[in-house]
Amino acid sequence: MIRSLKYIISKNTVPYYNLALEEYLLFSTEPDEMVFYLWQNKNTVVIGRNQNPYRECKISDIKKDGSHIVRRLSGGGAVYHDSGNLNFTFLVRHENNDVNKQLSVILKALQLLGINAQASGRNDITVDGKKFSGNAFYRSKDYCYHHGTLLIDVDIENLSKYLNVSASKLKSKGVSSVKSRVANLKDYKKDLTIETVKDALLSAVSEVYDLAPQRILDEELDKNKIRELENKFSSNYFIYPNKFNYQIEMQERFPWGEIQLLFNLKDNIIESVRAYSDALDEQFILYIPEVMKDCLFSETSLIDAIDKIPLKNELSHQIATDIKELIIKNLNES
Amino acid sequence: MKILKDLMYTKTHEWIKMTGDKKAKIGLTDFAQDSLGSLVFVNLPEVGDEVSKDDSFGDVESVKAVSDVFSPVNGKVSAINEELLDSPEKINESAYDAWLIEVEDIEENKDLLTPEQYEKVCNEEA
Repeated sequence: MIRSLKYIISKNTVPYYNLALEEYLLFSTEPDEMVFYLWQNKNTVVIGRNQNPYRECKISDIKKDGSHIVRRLSGGGAVYHDSGNLNFTFLVRHENNDVNKQLSVILKALQLLGINAQASGRNDITVDGKKFSGNAFYRSKDYCYHHGTLLIDVDIENLSKYLNVSASKLKSKGVSSVKSRVANLKDYKKDLTIETVKDALLSAVSEVYDLAPQRILDEELDKNKIRELENKFSSNYFIYPNKFNYQIEMQERFPWGEIQLLFNLKDNIIESVRAYSDALDEQFILYIPEVMKDCLFSETSLIDAIDKIPLKNELSHQIATDIKELIIKNLNES
Repeated sequence: MKILKDLMYTKTHEWIKMTGDKKAKIGLTDFAQDSLGSLVFVNLPEVGDEVSKDDSFGDVESVKAVSDVFSPVNGKVSAINEELLDSPEKINESAYDAWLIEVEDIEENKDLLTPEQYEKVCNEEA
């Protein structure tokens, strides 16, 4: 039974901080309490707990633009957040976790704003069949959270610019992302702003739980604890764990034979490559690991690497051309 | 809901089966797999990793939902069930056959729940 409703709105837009605050709030939640948390990330790809970042996103583009990549604790696929997106989190103890009731808060808030939305299964909220909110869940012992995105006024074109949504060619272990038809809430209500949506959410959560939400004050937060968690969320070992090493694979059959490239990446740099082929030009294949070592895992640097291999005849010309095409195909399938 | 008589359990829905002196297999219970739904991914530690009692050693993911998995004992991972990495659904199919990890050098294994005690935990949560 929830007897106390608290809320907090993050003023920070650094994703590592916001996810750290979310985890901190989770494990501070009392048995009869719900914490409702609102937050926004600036220019961030958020990947699911068990996703391979090398497969899911264009890491070099993200870094080049100064955008961020962060791993959340909950499951599901990769999403891009910008300042037109508002995130919400319901944090409770397991016995108080009621996903339908929590979803009804979001629906109620939209109703207050004059938008008629529907919950579509457990995970999505839609309007006119288009998704504007994806939801995901995390449980650790008795502590649970349910969080989601709200597309309010995002640049839809940008949503997939960093994502390899249908990169089925990059086979690897991990959870895959799925592309959805999406919409901005602003399309349904022209004068909508992030602020009006926040207000509506607070009114709705109060109405649904019949409790007055109390704001969590800054001085109640354990800053050291949050900083420690922020270090975890921003660390390479958390975003790019070693288990995804050697799990990027490119493979193709060409007239001259079959080739398979296995990449061992660390922080998006190629630590080593294994190249297997039955091509007659063995020497060309042997060059590949050598020229690709320490390269950035991006289309241009892989192609530059291939260009360093000496071409001694027609066949090696053809192999080089085909491998370059294989690289382009694999790194651009979106 | 199946609870086997020859296993010990935790409040966080893991089962533990002693497979030798100071050695045991750990898995998720039938109750856990049922409430999680169809699993799509299992995240396991590596052989040689230390596990600590009540600390998370991995996680399981069903559609969009991740749950941490906790170790009932202190010890060292001596094997992981690699089959689950490609076929997490084995946990849904047969939770008590689909062990997650094997732990050796177990220091002590107190505070574990008997099948009867665990059944009570499940009834309270259901």
